[in-house]
Amino acid sequence: MPSTDRRRFLTSAVLGSTAVAGATALGSLAPEAAFAATPRLELEPGTRDPNFAEGRVTAISGSMLKVSGSDKTLYRIYVTHGTSVWKLRPTTFDQIKVGDGMYARGVPMPDGSLAADSVWVNIVNLDAAITAIDSGRLHLDHHGNKVVGHVVSGTTAAVYNNTPAISDLSGLQVGKHVKVIGAWRPDTNEVDIATVYAGI
Amino acid sequence: MLEWPASVQPLFIGGTLLWSGGLKCFGRSARRSAERSALASLVGEKRALPAYRLTGAVELALAIVLLAPPAFAAETVAAAALGVGFLAYLAYAKIFAPDSSCGCLSKKRTPVTWRGFARAGLMLVAALVGTQASVWWGRGLADRPLTAVLVVAEAALLVMLSPEADRLWLLPLRRARIRHRHPLADYSFEMPLESSIQQLLASPAYRQVSPLLKSGLRETWDEEDMRVLCYTAEYEGTVTTAVFAVPLRHYRPDDVRVALVDESTESTLLVSA
Repeated sequence: MPSTDRRRFLTSAVLGSTAVAGATALGSLAPEAAFAATPRLELEPGTRDPNFAEGRVTAISGSMLKVSGSDKTLYRIYVTHGTSVWKLRPTTFDQIKVGDGMYARGVPMPDGSLAADSVWVNIVNLDAAITAIDSGRLHLDHHGNKVVGHVVSGTTAAVYNNTPAISDLSGLQVGKHVKVIGAWRPDTNEVDIATVYAGI
Repeated sequence: MLEWPASVQPLFIGGTLLWSGGLKCFGRSARRSAERSALASLVGEKRALPAYRLTGAVELALAIVLLAPPAFAAETVAAAALGVGFLAYLAYAKIFAPDSSCGCLSKKRTPVTWRGFARAGLMLVAALVGTQASVWWGRGLADRPLTAVLVVAEAALLVMLSPEADRLWLLPLRRARIRHRHPLADYSFEMPLESSIQQLLASPAYRQVSPLLKSGLRETWDEEDMRVLCYTAEYEGTVTTAVFAVPLRHYRPDDVRVALVDESTESTLLVSA
């Protein structure tokens, strides 16, 4: 299905006024039943989580990522149509590049690979202090190391005192502490900011 | 020609050494500073604190003889030697212990940067100029009160080159500039995605189907006054797409709608009542 038709179809499924034949109305789905449907995996302490992988992308072939973990574990990760890919924002598989860092959750396959449900590319979570602000950039001090945070117009959001996110960053102050969720630019000290959390 | 600026250098160097030596000997967090400094890798963890205190004591002693009359060239020569030694220490720290703190003028953790080198260079130049002095700085100041301006300028330069002092002058300056005009002010009415996600997470619709969701947010687009967000969900053994519609301009979590759609058969399995 072409992507515009697909979006129109999905939109009408959720917003369409006409009743959809064969669809269950949501009220009948009890949360308990839904929880029972997902088997929970119990992990022994100290064992590797089989549903998780992390590392740097060393090669991409077809829909498979070859990833070298930070403990030198090698992973093969399959990305399917149902996989979510985050790289600063929800995006698609073709935006993943060799050299990117990533975290993935998914289901282990019999051949030892991981079929990913979600992939987060270059995601970072920094607690830092703002040392300077200029147009389009926050200069951050992260435990004594300089980090440059780029503001991406239309994407970067600010959350002040846990209130709803807004795109206006004028509440940020030099000298204050912030928490930054963003996408690292590989092998630099620069990140693109997705969300910055601050107090006012 | 160097006579008059030379005469006040012992005051400048002595004052600086008094500050840094006092901090090393009597600072409350001297132990932590010593352990974080490159001394730990230079002389070993155990000897870092004694070495740090010893350096402080030498600095204090030198400060006292520099500040007290009369002026001996040997004092400023010793200060110059200390300056060379300190530059060598910084170079060592930069090359062999780049993660360490310089541990120089405050308890604040400050990695070695070009400012550290410039500051050590300033001390060395001041000491070298100071070797030309023939009178005690007190006499020099009395004879030419204008040399006080030079001492103040040098002290200002020292503060500017000290990352430890940024909190006192640089950050307030930047704060004042931003209060005047904030470079990141955005008065557009654009609704960030994060805001829609926050609303989604607070909605009854999400709460009901969240145990079925397998993926993170896959894609999103705006549809007039609603924002559509898609996730992958598993419902009764079928991989489906969970389509949420979140009000775009209003915060009404109760109005969030959801449908579970099987895209392979183009059928809707579940929809908000």
